[in-house]
Parts: sequence; structure tokens; C-alpha cells
Amino acid sequence: MPGKRTLDYAAYAVFIALILCAPLVLEEFWLNRIAKFLVYGLLGVAIALSWGYAGILNLGQGLFFGLGAYMMAMSLKLASPTSLQQGSATPVPDFMLWNAEPGAKTDLCCINHGSFLWTPFQNPWFGIGMAVLAPVLVATVIGWVMFRKRISGVFVSIIMLALVLLVRLVVIDAQPLTNGFNGLTDLGNLTVLGVELDPYEVVTYYVVAGTLALALIATRLLVETRAGLILQAIRDDQNRVRYLGFDVPLYQVFFFAVSAGIAGVAGLLYVVVAQFASPTFMDLSFSITMVVWAAVGGRASLLGACIGAIGINIIEAGASETQALVQAWRAVIGLIFVLVVLYLPRGVAGFASDAADAVLSRFGRKRPPAARPASERVAS
Amino acid sequence: MDTTTRLTTRRTALLGAAGALAAPYFFHRAARAADAIKVGVLFSQTGGLSIVEKSLNDVTLMAISEINAKGGVLGRPVQAVVEDGASDPKTFNEKASKLVIQDKVPSVFACYTSASRKAVLPVFERRQSLLLYPTYYEGFECSKNVAYTGAVPNQQLSNFIPWITKTLGKKKFFIVGSNYIYPREMAKVSKILIEKNGGQWVADEYLELGDSEWGSMVNKIKNSGADVVLSNVVGDSVVAFYREFKNQGLTQDKLPICATVTSEIEIAAMGPEYAAGSFTSFPYFMAIDTDANKAFVERYRAFVKNPKAVTHHALESSYFQVHLWAQAVAKAGEAAPLPIRNALAGQEFAAPGGMVKIEPQNLHTWLTPRIAQWQPDGQGKIIDAYQAPVMPLPYVAYGETDGAPFCTGKGLDTARLKG
Amino acid sequence: MAEVVFIGLSLASVLLLVALGLAITYGAMGVINMAHGEMVMLGAYTTVLTRIYLHLDILAAIPLAFIATALIGYAIERVVVRRLYGRLLDTLLATWGVAILIQQAVRLELGASFFGLHIAGLGPGLQNVAVPPELTGALTLGSVQVNAFRAFIIGVTLLLTLVTWLLMYRTSIGIQVRAIMRNPRMAAACGIDVDRVNALTFAYGSGLAGVAGVMVSGFKTVFPDMGTPMVVDAFLVVVVGGVGSLLGSVFSAGLLGQLNGVTAFLANDIIARAVVFAFVIAVIMTRPRGLFSQKAR
Repeated sequence: MPGKRTLDYAAYAVFIALILCAPLVLEEFWLNRIAKFLVYGLLGVAIALSWGYAGILNLGQGLFFGLGAYMMAMSLKLASPTSLQQGSATPVPDFMLWNAEPGAKTDLCCINHGSFLWTPFQNPWFGIGMAVLAPVLVATVIGWVMFRKRISGVFVSIIMLALVLLVRLVVIDAQPLTNGFNGLTDLGNLTVLGVELDPYEVVTYYVVAGTLALALIATRLLVETRAGLILQAIRDDQNRVRYLGFDVPLYQVFFFAVSAGIAGVAGLLYVVVAQFASPTFMDLSFSITMVVWAAVGGRASLLGACIGAIGINIIEAGASETQALVQAWRAVIGLIFVLVVLYLPRGVAGFASDAADAVLSRFGRKRPPAARPASERVAS
Repeated sequence: MDTTTRLTTRRTALLGAAGALAAPYFFHRAARAADAIKVGVLFSQTGGLSIVEKSLNDVTLMAISEINAKGGVLGRPVQAVVEDGASDPKTFNEKASKLVIQDKVPSVFACYTSASRKAVLPVFERRQSLLLYPTYYEGFECSKNVAYTGAVPNQQLSNFIPWITKTLGKKKFFIVGSNYIYPREMAKVSKILIEKNGGQWVADEYLELGDSEWGSMVNKIKNSGADVVLSNVVGDSVVAFYREFKNQGLTQDKLPICATVTSEIEIAAMGPEYAAGSFTSFPYFMAIDTDANKAFVERYRAFVKNPKAVTHHALESSYFQVHLWAQAVAKAGEAAPLPIRNALAGQEFAAPGGMVKIEPQNLHTWLTPRIAQWQPDGQGKIIDAYQAPVMPLPYVAYGETDGAPFCTGKGLDTARLKG
Repeated sequence: MAEVVFIGLSLASVLLLVALGLAITYGAMGVINMAHGEMVMLGAYTTVLTRIYLHLDILAAIPLAFIATALIGYAIERVVVRRLYGRLLDTLLATWGVAILIQQAVRLELGASFFGLHIAGLGPGLQNVAVPPELTGALTLGSVQVNAFRAFIIGVTLLLTLVTWLLMYRTSIGIQVRAIMRNPRMAAACGIDVDRVNALTFAYGSGLAGVAGVMVSGFKTVFPDMGTPMVVDAFLVVVVGGVGSLLGSVFSAGLLGQLNGVTAFLANDIIARAVVFAFVIAVIMTRPRGLFSQKAR
């Protein structure tokens, strides 16, 4: 079906062109806001990759987002002017002073138990690296255990859900190290290669938009590799692929970790544009909400899930800032969720794809109707 | 006031007068709308925190309508741009930047929790805007872009702990709180005060924020040998706590709960019979027996059209901070963030709970500490109060005193912080 | 120590109370009903409204809440859930949307707040549920003092579990439900009205949640968001117990309740929560089908 694929690529190209041209028309507030939404779009890509292509619905994606966010925020916290003013050779986060061990020296090494863990974060590259590595490592370990044991479907979802709640609890409780419920705030700007990423500057927008464009292209190419095709085969029937001699868990772990890494990058970028990290990133409702974004956009389409996330957030912003709807906008969003799941089971992308099929067939291209994957077939 | 502003003011006044004399009603309204001073109002209208924050939003709008009824500020009406924080720091951050950057409001009345205040703080600091924050909080903040009108630990504890040890005669404290910064910081300040007053603390325990399963904790309290419970439990957990307390056979006369957060809202929700006999320390109670306060409660109930609505400390602060702000705008002569902030310093207002004053050094508020005992009718009977407002000391846990504030007009003195 | 065991038991009974309805809708029907917590919330609000408008106490609210939430559950099944059978994860997403709608409906007082009207008992604030004096305070059983209301909850939970078990295993409709659980098409082929039975089962599960709401309203706080954390705990109970096994849910609620109670006694409540989550993860990792599983569908 060359026509369909060309159209598909064209959609990617149009979308990327759009987000790259956006600064021409947006003023600084909307630039910053759209940058945040693009970060959510990146989360949509991560979810579509694990859910749409690997069949793994992760109800704890917020864990990876949160990990990425905290790793970056730790570096930026140490770069903040207040951390540098505590009269120590090393920067010390202000909240550590009020959680200090009695009589402890005001120094990152030993102001409280565990504060030394912050030491390497003085180098922003360490924070950036960990923001990607930590989620990947956690996902690899968890994925390795889960997929070796052939755990699948809703059980993976529940494990990830329990895990994200567990980590959230620990982060809040470890107040001397994490500032607990208030999260990490009062951060410095990230400076990479001599460029300061002020959240309201165009350059920061381009870092976010560029990362999203790269992630879209890279994941799109990735799912079309041999490994990506095997992964989709696993989604549709694990056992057949296993009998064909493929190492099923290996593929699952790999894509699970890639998805986690993308979510980690999203967390990193969110901290850069919003300037705080909070344990609410690991709230259950946020993890479910991002899955719903992907479902609305189209779980089986990387671009669809991405646009779904951005679109819903734009609708939310519009609805919640209409003074008449300030109290009711959530009901509007709830209604959209229900209607989309009921009437557009493949999301907006599925709808667009069907529309494209209709258009293509009218122009005389004969092609068989697309077979839906088993997971989407409605049982009678 | 410099010449230009005086000129502008006079011109506005002239315009207003001309409008009132000559123009039909709609023209007058059009002129008003174009001329309004916009302010941001950002509290949660949805999500778990809307329980309290909806009332803060309502009372802020009420105060704005009162100001407008008196002709507004600088001859201009005040117009609220209301946004919903949705109980989520991410949303608070986004809406705050919308208000400050896009709507260009000179001031925002916002936030109930520290977590949300911390999330919006970068917006206000980088943009040199002004946030007015109405909630009691843990202190340890010295921002040039925030005016804090709620109590800080010294205004809730400095009278409370000595009163418990001396008047109540209770010496063994069980400290319990929700697991986040405010209760932990309150616990820290209380421990210093408890030891100074010859008491001791037997436990310092926490429950997850929003958790309402108190079975194990209350059992612990029962077997701890403590003779008083110091509660820094917040939000909906409070209700479950007092109920479990009574249902495990504990009584307020033998083992009283002395709370720093339990307010009229929670008492009404749990049923006053569960709290009767327990104590709370706050600068404001709905039962304050003055004509000003009674009138305030009536006005609020009429405004929200709910004859049973209750008022509480953060609500009173949300109310008077709007009036303090209006006075500051009038004094500054212009509606721009930094002049308003400078004019706020030292501003006084006769609030429903008595006189309040913004401390010029740290932009926190002088408030009058009060202790109330909860009655079976759900009201707090005030049984102890300071004669006059007390200076706010956001760094009291680190040895800050009236004479030597850490947070001054020049910023935070970190050298003092380390003692 | 007896007190600790009693508290564990009462934690378990609250877990089971909320999980029971979920064990039916999820376990038997394969619907991940995220709005289950909202059914609990509606049950609690029924108690509030019963008191304000009918001047009846919490005991009278039990049947009313059952009927009200069962009807709402029936409506949800007809309008939303029945289009989604077999799409497990889609039921999760759709019912999440339904949950948001229900919460907003309560918070906006069914829309009245747009017109500046106020319906007593609804709205965003905390609500007060009065408990009759005979159920407050402590009872002395032998050497231990126990919380009367918690003892009452344990009793109600036992009763409901028994009734549910009888319904499922000793009545003809129960046989039909279990037949649908195993193989809906075969059941349909045998002449079972699958549509009707599914709707009734969902309504019954929702009704149980409503009763749970009445019970928790007596000692927790009633507000529009109260259901969300409960539904998570209830899910963990059902999954650990083994999907589709009523006995499994009873057993796992008991286990998680005691684990929570004992850890909270030995360490603290925060660690207890963490231990419960870790335990759940460990169980699902080692026995993904749960402790008591049967081959379903």
C-alpha cells in the first residue's frame, strides 16, 4: 500500500513542520505552554510504543516521567542561586538545611544521611544522563523479571501501578533528600554548551520541539525494523512468535526500556520548561490520564498518540480558561474520554486512517480492508 | 505620589465624574470595563483540594465585590480573572504563568498548599510579579514576590505549647501529623518549645497525606502513655482521626487533642460531638465575638447563598489580603507589582478577627494567636488569646527572634540561618 | 496483641467490603470499573442525603444506597460498559471518564451550582454523616476494647460476603453468571440471556459498592474524590486473591489487612503502606494469576 504509507509519512512531515514553525506565530506564554504540551506529546509517543506496538499497557508511566524529572531537577536545584549561597564550598539545596542532622556540617557530603548521593549531580550532564539512564535501568530490571515470567496484559498494568504508588510514597517520605511533598522547586536554568535554556525563550522551545521530532522519526523507523515487526507479532500472538524461535522477552524488555527512556526524557524536558519537579508526577491519576491521551489520539499510532496528548491539553486549557466553564471543564474532558472510547476505539488516528482509506479507494486504488489486530477486535 | 500618576488619577476621576453625570448606564459600564484593574484568582475548583479552596476563591471574589461597591481602587473597578488550579501543581504552574505573562495581572491571589505555592513561585520570581498567599504554612521562605497573610509556626505554637504545659498541665506529648513538610516543621518547632517548657514528647508519627485509615495510629496513641496529642493532621484525614479517636474509647478530657490545623470545616464535617472538648490554635475562629466578625460571617453566607457556610482562618486571610492589597494599590498610586509590594509593607487593616499588619521586613503578617476549645455546637470558644498581634517569624525553628529577623528587605541572611 | 489483630481484621473488612463489588464486576465480568470508587462515593452521599431529606440514620441508608447505586450501575452498564465486553483495557479508560463525570456531577450539585443554587448535602465540601450512639465509642470484649463501628463493619462484611456467595453458588442466576464467566458464547448458546444477566451482575456489584460507601461514610470523610484511593486498594485485593475467585478475595483482603496492621504496629503507617505495595508486586510477579486462581474465560 504505497499510497497509504506516503500519506502517513506526509502526516509526520506536516506535523513536524508545524511544531517547528509555531514560534513564528506564538508569543512567549503560548510558546512555553505549547512546549509543555509537546512534552506531553512525547509521553504519548512513549505510551503508543509500549501499548500500541508492544501490547504492554503501562499504568505506571508516571514513574519513568517522574524519575527523569527528579534526576534533572536535582542538577538544576544545585545550579540555583540559593543553593550556592549557603556558605559551603559545594552548593547545598536550601531544604536540606531544615532537614539537617543536628550539628552536621553544611556540605553536600554529609549534611544528612544520603545527601552525598546528590554530589555527582553538580555536573548537569550527569543529571541529563541519569534522567534517561535511570528510567531505562529500572524498566530493564522490572521488564526482565516480568516478561521472563510471561506476565502480560492487565497484570503488567497492575504491577506498574503498584510500583509507581510505592515509589511515590518513598519519595514523599524521604523528605531530607527529596523535599517530600513540595517537590524540588527554585531551580536554576539548564545551561548546555554555553546556551542557557530560559523556559520562555525560543531556543528552549526548539530544544523540546526538536527532541519530539527526533523521537517521532526514530521510533517510527524503529518499529519498521525487523525487531519492530517481531514486536508487533508478539503483541498479536506471543506464543506463535515464541514457537518460531524468537526470544520474546528480549524484544519486550527492549521496547519497554525504550518507552521508559522516552518518558524519562519527557520528564527531563518538563523540568526545563516548568521549573519544578513534584511527587504528583507519580500520582495514579496522571499515569491514567496520559494513557487516555494516547487512547484518544490513537494508541496504535505514534503520531496519533502524540497529537492526542497535545490536542487534549489544548482543549483542556481552552475549556478551563473559559470563565463559564471554570468549574465544569473536567466534565467536558470526562465526556470526551467516554465518547472516544465508545465511538472511536482506534482514536482520532484510526478515524483519520479510515478516512484516508476511503479517499484512496475513491481514487481507484484497490486494497483489501485493513485487518485489525486481535486486541482490538470486539468480542460478540 | 509623583506628578504623572497624580495627573492620571485626576483624569480618571474626571472621566468617571463626567460619565456619571452625562452618560447613559451602558456607556458608564463600557468605560468601567475598559478601565478595570485585572487581578488573578487561582484556587482549585476541581479535585480533592477544592473542598477548602473553593471557599477561598469565593471569599476573594466577595472582597473584590466589596471594593468595587465602594468605587474600586484609584477610581477603577477591580476585575477578577478566575482560574482553576485543579488540585495539581502542574496546573497551578501553568495557570500562574497564564495570569502573569499573558493576562499581565499585577497581582495574583492564589494557592492553599505549600506544594502549589512552590510550583508557582518561579513564575512570580522570574517575572517580578506579586503573589498574595493566604494560608498558614511552615515558614522557611523569604521571597521578594510573595506576601504571606496566613500564620507561620511561631504564631500558632509559641502560645500553644506553654499553655498546654502550664494551663492544661499536660507534659507528655504524642505528636502526629500528615506526612509532608508543614506537619514535620511544626513538629520540629513544637519539640523545641516542649523541651523549653519542661515537657517531653513520646512519639512523632506520620500518616500519608489524605489517608483516612487511623486504626493502627490511634491504637498506638492509646498505648503510648502520652497525656496529650499534638495534631498536625491536615485535610480530610482529620475527620477520620477524631472519629477513630472517640470510637477507640479515648476521651478529650483525659487525653485532649491539641491541633494546629483542625478548623471549622473539619469540625462541621466530622460532627461536632467528636471534637467537643479538643483544642485548636489559630489566629482566627468563626466564633470571635465581635460585631465586625459577625457581620463578616453574615456577608459571606449571603454571598455564597449558603446559610450554613463556615468561615475559618485561611478564609479570613483570603478576605483581608484583598483589602490590604487594595490599600496598597491606592498608596502606590498605580497597579504594578513592585510598587504594590513596596506599598504593602506596613499596611494595616481591621480584619474580621482584629487588626492585622504586613511586616515590612519579611512581608509576612502580624496576627493574634488564639486558642479555642471546640464546643458541641461546632464552634470554637476562645479561651486564650494574645492581647495584641504577634510578629511573624518564618525562621523561628532556627532561632529567629523579634529583634533579629533572618528575612529582611535585603533578602535572607543565610549566615544567621546556620546559627 | 489482640488489639492489633482486631485492627488488622477491621482493615481487612474495609478492604473486602469495597473489593467485593469489584470481585464481581472485574472478577466475573472482566470489566475494570474505575468508577467503582465513585459508586462507593455515591453510596456515602446517599447516607448524607437520607439524613438531610428523610431524617433517617445510617442503617436505613443501607438498602437505599444499594438500590440507588445498583440503578446507576445498571445505567452505566447499559450505556457504556456493554459496548466494551472483551475489551478489558477499554473498559478501564471509559469508566475512568465516567468516574470524572460522576465526581463533577456531585461537585457541581447536579448542575445547580451554575444557577447559583445550592443543594444541601452535595457540592465540593466535606459532608457530615451522623452515626447512631450505639455504634460510637468502644465495646469491651473480654480483655480488649474494640471500636464498636468497626465491629459493625466486620459483621456487615461477613453478611454481604455470605449473601454474595449464596447468590453465586446456590441460585440459578449465580449458575448463569458463572457460566458466562467461563464462556459467554457457550452460555448464550445454552439459552442464557447474557445481556440481561450481565446488566444485573454489574448492578449488583455496584450496589455492593454503594453499601460499602454507607459503611465507610461512618468513619471516613465524605467528599467527591473519596472513591479514587479506595478503588486502587480494592483492585490490589482482587488481583492478589485471583481474578474470579470470591474466596481468593476474602483471603487476600485478610492477608493485606493483617500485613498492614502488624507492620503499622511494629514500624509505622507509611512503611506499612509501602510493605503492602511491595507484597502485592511480589505476589503478582511470582503468581501472576493470584493466590487463588481458576481458569476463566
